[in-house]
Amino acid sequence: MKTDLHPRYQNTTLGAEAETILRSCVHCGFCNATCPTYQELSDERDGPRGRIYLIKQILETDQATARTELHLDRCLTCRACEATCPSGVEYGRLLDIGRGVIATKTKRKLRERCFRWCLKQVLPRRTLMVWLVRLARWLQPLMPAALQRKIPAGQKPGVLPVKQHSRRMLLLQGCVQAAATPNTNAAARRVLDRLGITLLEIREVGCCGAVGYHLADHGDGKYWMRRNIDAWWPLVEQGVEAIVVAASGCGAMLQDYGRIFRDDPNYAEKAAGISHLIKDLSCVIGAENLHGLALDTSKKLAVHCPCSLQHAMGEVESLEKLLKRAGFDLARVAEKHLCCGSAGTYSLLQPTMSQTLLDRKVQALTQDTPDLIVTANIGCQLHLASGTEVPVLHWIELLDQTSH
Amino acid sequence: MPISKDISLDLQERVGSAAESKTPLQLIGGNSKEFLGRVPAGEPLMVNAHKGIVDYSPSELVVTARAGTTVSELQNLLAEENQVLGFEPPEFQGQATLGGTLATNLSGPARPWRGSIRDAVLGVRLINGLGEHLRFGGVVMKNVAGYDLSRFQAGAFGTLGIVTEISLKVAPKPAAEQTVCLARDQVSALDLMTKLQNKPVPLSGLLWIDGILYIRFSGAEAAVQSAAKRIGGERLMDKEATEFWMSVREFTHPFFSGPQPLWRYSVKSSCADFDKTPVLIDWGGGLRWTREAASMEPMRQFTEAGNGQVSCYRGGDRQGEVFQPLPPGLMRLHQRLKHAVDPLQLFNPGRLYADL
Amino acid sequence: MANLKLQLLTELLKILPEAGIIQDEETLRPYECDGLSIYTEMPLMVVLPDSVEQVQKIIRLCSRLETPIVPRGAGTGLSAGAMPHREGVVVSLAKFNRILSIDADARQARVQPGVRNLAISEAAQEYGLYYAPDPSSQIACSIGGNVAENSGGVHCLKYGLTVHNILALEVVTAEGDILRIGNQGYDSCGFDLLSLYIGSEGLLGIVTEITVKLLPVPETTKVVMATFDRVEKAGDAVKQIIAEGIIPAGLEMMDRLAINAAEDFVHAGYPRDTAAMLLCEIDGMAEEVDEHIARVSAVFNKEKAGCIRVAADENERQRLWKGRKAAFPAIGRISPDYYCMDGTIPRSQLTKVLTTIQSLSDIYQLRVANVFHAGDGNLHPLILFDANVAGELEKTEEFGGKILELCVDAGGCITGEHGVGVEKLLQMPYQFDPASLEQFQRVKLACDPQRILNPGKGIPQLKHCQEYRSLSQASVGRHADK
Repeated sequence: MKTDLHPRYQNTTLGAEAETILRSCVHCGFCNATCPTYQELSDERDGPRGRIYLIKQILETDQATARTELHLDRCLTCRACEATCPSGVEYGRLLDIGRGVIATKTKRKLRERCFRWCLKQVLPRRTLMVWLVRLARWLQPLMPAALQRKIPAGQKPGVLPVKQHSRRMLLLQGCVQAAATPNTNAAARRVLDRLGITLLEIREVGCCGAVGYHLADHGDGKYWMRRNIDAWWPLVEQGVEAIVVAASGCGAMLQDYGRIFRDDPNYAEKAAGISHLIKDLSCVIGAENLHGLALDTSKKLAVHCPCSLQHAMGEVESLEKLLKRAGFDLARVAEKHLCCGSAGTYSLLQPTMSQTLLDRKVQALTQDTPDLIVTANIGCQLHLASGTEVPVLHWIELLDQTSH
Repeated sequence: MPISKDISLDLQERVGSAAESKTPLQLIGGNSKEFLGRVPAGEPLMVNAHKGIVDYSPSELVVTARAGTTVSELQNLLAEENQVLGFEPPEFQGQATLGGTLATNLSGPARPWRGSIRDAVLGVRLINGLGEHLRFGGVVMKNVAGYDLSRFQAGAFGTLGIVTEISLKVAPKPAAEQTVCLARDQVSALDLMTKLQNKPVPLSGLLWIDGILYIRFSGAEAAVQSAAKRIGGERLMDKEATEFWMSVREFTHPFFSGPQPLWRYSVKSSCADFDKTPVLIDWGGGLRWTREAASMEPMRQFTEAGNGQVSCYRGGDRQGEVFQPLPPGLMRLHQRLKHAVDPLQLFNPGRLYADL
Repeated sequence: MANLKLQLLTELLKILPEAGIIQDEETLRPYECDGLSIYTEMPLMVVLPDSVEQVQKIIRLCSRLETPIVPRGAGTGLSAGAMPHREGVVVSLAKFNRILSIDADARQARVQPGVRNLAISEAAQEYGLYYAPDPSSQIACSIGGNVAENSGGVHCLKYGLTVHNILALEVVTAEGDILRIGNQGYDSCGFDLLSLYIGSEGLLGIVTEITVKLLPVPETTKVVMATFDRVEKAGDAVKQIIAEGIIPAGLEMMDRLAINAAEDFVHAGYPRDTAAMLLCEIDGMAEEVDEHIARVSAVFNKEKAGCIRVAADENERQRLWKGRKAAFPAIGRISPDYYCMDGTIPRSQLTKVLTTIQSLSDIYQLRVANVFHAGDGNLHPLILFDANVAGELEKTEEFGGKILELCVDAGGCITGEHGVGVEKLLQMPYQFDPASLEQFQRVKLACDPQRILNPGKGIPQLKHCQEYRSLSQASVGRHADK
């Protein structure tokens, strides 16, 4: 597509990157077909092609208002469009750039700014989250029903393995997942223990940075990223097989460290090294021999593969393949490529669209009457659980529970 | 090769003088279908002398012929190259011309699977009401430049001008053909027709009459054999089968004779509530023939809901409407379109509808 | 104009909710073009109705105010048919995205125009049925757009174009009347209005409902891929297959540039180092398919194909097609811009025309990738260019025009399935004589006396034709000299 950047962005790293992406778009519109918001709203401005055009306009005129911002805000960043795009447009990256630029042009309402600030302050802080979740559970009976459904049920992490294996991997402890579903990482450690792998958690490692980064506060995002790189690096240098992530939303962000820091002389090399080691839990276990696990596979599962796993990390089949190989009966699921509406902080910032997509997703997941819904990301897990009576689990719990 | 003669300049002149004197023209080809449509009116203009093959490229699957060429001549020519007209038009003892076939859009038993002449048309040349000799479409399979005024001629009964030349897509002659018969009452025959048509089998005919369902398969030898075997039933000998399907296509089957008006219902193939007798069901349920001494009004009730349309094919009151009347909005559009092509209303006035 | 806009807006607010009207210049921008982004124009406003009544009211309003209307579907068209009118309203049918009913027994479906082409086949799948025409953009393009353009696709060699697969339409006329044309049976009494409306590029009415024909999914489908070291050999093989009396479900050709771009996207295992590749798909009953695949392979052998491969399973078949279907946009990987042509020629002229295009490519110094429906002679030369380089677009347009004229000279036409739109207006007088163009205009006026539907598209005004002719005369050789 023809581009004519405003002088302000010409000869800048950001401008050059954006221009390369814009030029690779040929405006075919295939992306709209798999975009959840376009499917719901049918408005060119609420599909990837239209957003690309709006971002192009920002960079060509150096002007934008809240009108444009609304449509960029509505994007879930599920990146289904990237998987559909034959021209290889790096839409997610362009959107991050666009959101960053427009944040300098518009001023959000005070209420909105406060809310976003709170999200950035609270969500990434594990200890604070743990307390908040406890407080919420305690207050749950007093809340309206709609809100009650959003509170995760209590979980006990269970006994952690103590044996040290020669095969070692790092495990991202994370923030929201650690607070809301502490059993996920615990289960991962137990299952991998049985497969002869020790998972190490480093306390200093916190939020992957996605919360701030995707709220167009790149500085805040990078703060968390640098912290993690610094905490992991000594162990990476000693040699670990992989950095395992049980929440694919975080995995996708971590895989992006290399690109985000590629122009940072202090972090470029380390960040690339870390990104290279990132693996989703399903890929790690998928590579192992599962015969020793003696699983109970009587339940029929509906699998929701998170967008971060299928579109961002490109692992479309890893989870389903693994579960099939483990012997589970998988329910028929429609529109597998569509986002559930969770999308990080999206469910909090765009509740209406989020709820519409949730209803659509629950419908697609339950049409074949599954016993359980399993997924691979904390955001999707909590979001789906708020919209259906069918129990929603992180799949690793299933491998953990049934093997006793 | 059929005889070749180009009288298009004559025809243009005739139209010109008709325009001057405002004399309506009655277009006549082989005169094999005079009984069709409303009563012809206007000064007779013979167009069948304009005939001959303009171009035939077997490897392109395309033939271009003047409209006066008879269907029989054309079929014979195609047969030499092992090709056919997929839509199986009636030849009416060798009288039917290509132009008349297009004007009436008549297709044989294979129509649901191989299309009609309308589907096979790629391009036409046409003399409009201003006497201009125009060209629409072409000789290639795909052509979307301009409005599709060539397929538009199908079924217009010559009211939109004199078609002088037609380019058609032709088909390879099926390698094998086989017909099997099953004894079935009407309800279960229709049911089986629906089931068969929902399966990917090489059908080319599904017809029910007098308690017998005739099923024809065409295509590669192995596929035809296997499909026929799956159905079971009694196999018709090839000669017998050819004669049977020919009798339907040429309207020589006894069902079509008799004094009462012959009604033709083109309907949704799965229509189950069609209760008229006697009935011949063709096109897998999509075409139902009946005989009844009735007028258009009661006969059209069945198709009011949009599930199809009725016309009085032969006999009956041909001064009144013989094709299912159009709603006012559609009739207005027809009149305007007619006016756009034939502003002086020269061609076959009233042949299709009284107001057209 | 400001007054008109205000008046329109006031009246439109009585018809539509505020969210269904887009009128601020900032966010109107994404609507300034369709899939052919080199032609742009900003509309007065865009409206997103979701009921027939709204469409009817909008048309009546525009008719009263003599305001141009540009209908728009998914905006994937490649002839700028949905490019807005400066003084007009874009009516987006995207919200008409429901499949209303599927009648499995009658093998037909009633759908709204904004439904994606592929979504119909997906919905029909549970009945063992599908909708046959499959434009390469079928994942995204809307069935309403298919009707407007009479779209083809890779399978129309055997199953026909859109016009062969539509039973009925609901149309809102330029005067706001609702017409039902066609019916659930095969034939209609009166003029064949389906033929007239299908492919009329939104110039004669706005389609608000479509009844499509569905077909049973073939029992067996197989695809064979063959590579050739010369394009001519592939062209000969195409002719030979048809001469054998075989009608493949699809018969497609790609050249080296296109093969490589598509392979980068789908990793289908296309051999990269080959001049041309054919994909030939056969469907039907198992016995028939096996027989035909064997005969097609024999033809390929005789024409000295390099590699002949029959897709081993459904997965591989899907991958081979995915590459073909994504081939246009995949060109975005090797060139910032491309311009897609759509001429159709008789099959016998394939080699000659392709060779001439190659020599024009050398003269204009612009690369050409070829991806096309070889079976029905529908060429899609993609001219690769860089719109950021001054003058290159103009050079590309001129080259494109030459290709279309070449197709007409070879006995073909300027557009097989993409439509004339804005893009090919210049070449219309090359294919049609003035009297035929005049006839088109009279038909247009019969349906749209005020010329408010998609004005400036599809059919050139005669007074412009003369200008076009002298213009194109003047430009002959301008770039060829360089």
